[in-house]
Amino acid sequence: MHGRPRKAPKPEDEAASSAKAQKLRALQTQFFTFHHNKIYTKEAVELSAKLLEINPESYTAWNYRKLAVEHYLNLPDCNPDSIKSVLDDELRVVENALRQNFKSYGAWHHRKWVLSKGHSSIDNELRLLDKFQKADSRNFHAWNYRRYVAESMKRSEQDELKYAEDMIYTNFSNYSAWHNRSVLLSALFEKKAGGFLLKEKVLPEEYEFIHQAIFTDPDDQSGWFYHLWLLDQTVTTDSPLLASSWPGHGSDVLLVGDRCYNGSAFSPFSALHSDSGSFPIVLYFNQPVGGVNSSTVTVECGFNKNEDLFWKPLSASNSQTARVWVAHLKVPSSDLHSTVEVSVGHSKGIISTRGFVYSHPSMFSFKVHVQPMERDSSQVSVAENISLREENFKVYGTQSEESIIDSFDQLIIKNGHETTASNWRFEALAKEIECFRELLSLVDCKIGKLTLARLLKAYDAMSYPFANKLVHSEEVLELYSDLMKLDPTHYQFYKDEHSIVLLQKVTSSKESLLQHCFQYKVSASSAICDPICLRLNNLSLSRMGAFEKLLWVQMLDLSHNELQSIEGLEAMQLLSCLSLRNNKLRSLTALEPLRKLKSLRILDISYNQIGDQSIDTTRYVCSSPLSHSVGSELNRDETVTSDVALINNWEAFFIFKDFNLNQLDIVGNTIADEKFKSVLVKIMPKLKQLDGKLLD
Amino acid sequence: MESFRSLTVTQRDQVLVEQQVFDIFKTFYNLPPSSQSFMLELQRENHVEYLTKGLTGLGPSFCVLDANRPWICYWILHSIALLDEFVDPELEDNTIDFLSRCQGPNGGYAGGPGQMPHLATTYAAVNSLVTLGGDKALSSINREKLYMFLRQMKDASGGFRMHDGGEIDVRACYTAISVASLLNILDDELVQNVGNYILSCQTYEGGISGEPGSEAHGGYTFCGLATMILINEVDRLDLSSLTDWVVFRQGVEGGFQGRTNKLVDGCYSFWQGGIFALLKRLNSTKGVKPIPLGDGEGSGEESPQTTASSDAAGEEGLNEDLSLGGSHSEIGDQHNTSSQVNVIDIDHNHSKGHANVEPLFNSLALQQYILLCSQELNGGLRDKPGKSRDHYHTCYCLSGLSVCQRSWLEDEDSPPLPRAVLGPYSNLLEPIHPLYNVVLDRYWGAHEFFTKS
Repeated sequence: MHGRPRKAPKPEDEAASSAKAQKLRALQTQFFTFHHNKIYTKEAVELSAKLLEINPESYTAWNYRKLAVEHYLNLPDCNPDSIKSVLDDELRVVENALRQNFKSYGAWHHRKWVLSKGHSSIDNELRLLDKFQKADSRNFHAWNYRRYVAESMKRSEQDELKYAEDMIYTNFSNYSAWHNRSVLLSALFEKKAGGFLLKEKVLPEEYEFIHQAIFTDPDDQSGWFYHLWLLDQTVTTDSPLLASSWPGHGSDVLLVGDRCYNGSAFSPFSALHSDSGSFPIVLYFNQPVGGVNSSTVTVECGFNKNEDLFWKPLSASNSQTARVWVAHLKVPSSDLHSTVEVSVGHSKGIISTRGFVYSHPSMFSFKVHVQPMERDSSQVSVAENISLREENFKVYGTQSEESIIDSFDQLIIKNGHETTASNWRFEALAKEIECFRELLSLVDCKIGKLTLARLLKAYDAMSYPFANKLVHSEEVLELYSDLMKLDPTHYQFYKDEHSIVLLQKVTSSKESLLQHCFQYKVSASSAICDPICLRLNNLSLSRMGAFEKLLWVQMLDLSHNELQSIEGLEAMQLLSCLSLRNNKLRSLTALEPLRKLKSLRILDISYNQIGDQSIDTTRYVCSSPLSHSVGSELNRDETVTSDVALINNWEAFFIFKDFNLNQLDIVGNTIADEKFKSVLVKIMPKLKQLDGKLLD
Repeated sequence: MESFRSLTVTQRDQVLVEQQVFDIFKTFYNLPPSSQSFMLELQRENHVEYLTKGLTGLGPSFCVLDANRPWICYWILHSIALLDEFVDPELEDNTIDFLSRCQGPNGGYAGGPGQMPHLATTYAAVNSLVTLGGDKALSSINREKLYMFLRQMKDASGGFRMHDGGEIDVRACYTAISVASLLNILDDELVQNVGNYILSCQTYEGGISGEPGSEAHGGYTFCGLATMILINEVDRLDLSSLTDWVVFRQGVEGGFQGRTNKLVDGCYSFWQGGIFALLKRLNSTKGVKPIPLGDGEGSGEESPQTTASSDAAGEEGLNEDLSLGGSHSEIGDQHNTSSQVNVIDIDHNHSKGHANVEPLFNSLALQQYILLCSQELNGGLRDKPGKSRDHYHTCYCLSGLSVCQRSWLEDEDSPPLPRAVLGPYSNLLEPIHPLYNVVLDRYWGAHEFFTKS
């Protein structure tokens, strides 16, 4: 409807167009009579053609013509010649209609329908398309139809690529042509037809090609978006990979029933306090996958049957796909030293959301040592006041450094299958990086900076398994800082990217990570080994990332950042103590990832912005009864039986009911008045401390 | 490199549009403040007059829209509702009668009496009737038959056809699901595999195309995203790449383009702007409150401290826009505390009340484009300067404007601050329900009606 060229009506045209309207009305009345009485005489069919020439959007008339054609084809005296002439007539009518309005859905659809009958020559179609695509090179109907025609006549992708190339040479801003190029190449990659079609050969050529456009005019959008696709093609591996796991390969896990444990042979990095008689195995994939279960992942150990393991996806939604999967191994309460072997993907079934099969079977093993659990509840339940005060932290590394660093090495996951990166990918990226550095030395260009940042990040990510440092992270951080200043409209976007790169940098080497590891040591504590706290405070993070490197963390300090969301934190299954103090969390529902952290006991969300706004209004975004995903897992009785106060504090109830907290700090949020706190105490009967005050 | 000419056709067109738009902005900034605020004023009366005229009779040039007559009803009625005006009762009755005559004997609404039912016009007709509201309008919809029609349009692949024998695309999916949801007849049969179809249309750019293989497009991205929310499968989409894509569709003119490297067009103020309204809610909250319908509890306590000094507010908003701001509060607001952790006595400024949510697009720049470039002073809105007004663009420019004005708000129940509304505060339009694009209180009316029956 819109975008059609409009002419301002001239007075002398008015009379003519009014006459035209009269004519149309008459035509229409006549047409409906024919249509409703199923009259398909020559006269009647011609009349519908007239109607369509005036108004190609008259979809009822197109359907009438389809019925008429079917009627003819079913006549007893119909022969190949007459069929052809009937269908040729249709094509002619469509062509006339398209001249009137080449954005008519009905007309293009009718043409497809006629061709699908298989009696018409398809060769004319490309000629016709040439005409229309010259008139409007961005008409997506024409491009859709072109793809349809090329497929029907089995025209080779190479020929179509050539066509797209010609279109690009005519107008390199024509994004539809670039887009079609990407569609064609994707199809070729998928087919893997012929040696020269491999990405290795094609992509470097495509980079050369796109440079022409980008360097001719760096302000033109089309090239940049095509470049983004090329980059994606260069770096992505179709098949999902296991990025990391907890426990890591070759690690020793010590499970203790109490927070204090003996045995200096074990470093605090691998000791885990467990009061539930089980511990998690966490698999972290490089993209969301489905189909993780006891037949695709086998766990062999002396104390659990593989079939008993239940693998659960950890994602914000209830979907059955996730990057992170977890299963809990039950451990006997007696002394135990055992080896656990986990093999992933030896039998097929793990599949990415994009439909690619996990095809890099991998295996990891670790040792578990269980110290007899102290079941004495009186001892365990002593409310221990954990306070992340500055004076309670010690810089790590004063004692038994070597053993600690050794065990730390085990946290870094090495993929058994080396890497999928091949030399041509590195070469392509290195060349691009050089190229864009050159471009940026000539012109100052936001999208150029963003692209360079993406290239560098991709290069680092690819080389990571070999190098133990991210060579370019400083440069990437600088680019994003620049962009925040240059392009304040998209500040938050760059800020988020900046945060993630910063986290990747921090977690990239043990040296840098150890700088953020502190011993939590309260003077009164008699423990030989004190828990390790990872402190990522005061980094002005707006987003969390690098989870694959942080699966081992049990104590995490994220205070004094700018987090508005903690999406992804559900991957950190071992977390027992978390500080989100002084961030920008705006609602209780932002805490949802924490519901999946079953070991979380101590949580500090004080001094955020929870409650600054009145209640969330997603209720009217999700008004459909089918949309109540989160609510649907809820037991109805729970809602009914709970207190009236809970109904008024629905969000709090929904979020906190699954928590197993001992200690919560919520002061400094608008929501946290006395009334609200009393509700919290009701929702979490196990809570022992609230805002530093002991509860009865 | 030498094989490319210096300026492509696309670039020439773009330069021309930019010149036109920037000329308007330049003229505007050189005006005295009083004339500025006049130029930024939404010409409510003229718009209503233009719209009402369209409902009673249209010129012969509208022949080409003959198969889209319920659309004309919707564009006009929805625009009038956004302006908080009503059509007179006789006209309302006529409209209901007319739409009833478009309703097919086997369900669904056609482009006009005697034509065959079509999903797009069904959407338009249902939204029109919901916008009119009231028992007569709402009960005129034959929901059982309509459900059967939707089932008939459902293709084995999961997608929907626009009409019997018609094309399958994302538009068809959205209109079918939207109507079903609004009328409370959405069920598993209708939902089945729709998500797969939409998913197959998300392109590498992040946006959604009309059909698999095609390029990402603003209208389809809205339709696809809204559909996925309605069927509760939105998490299957790559939302971060979708956000990336839509963020970069806002151009230097302030308005949105529909596709990469296309010209700005006022109607995308809604198609793209509406995407932000949907994303905002998805991001800010993931939980759903099962509350008794009717009197929403979150409302009321925010007093409209907003009505005063509206003219000054308009200018303030504009200045902010000039400095390409909207984000500098964020930058200046960093806590410069040292690495101390347990500082209890920090001066926290979060209790100052209305902390608003930063929109992901430049809302004031878009409002400026709509008011200065899309608005025709004697009524109606348009694609861009140099084009003429029409009902389609009037509807979607105004819908986009309403979304903009509330883009800072997290809570839709309270009115936006004056600085969020460009121009005089009287420019404030009625809020819409972004999934269906009907005015919010009309949505609630329909919701109540259809949950009861």
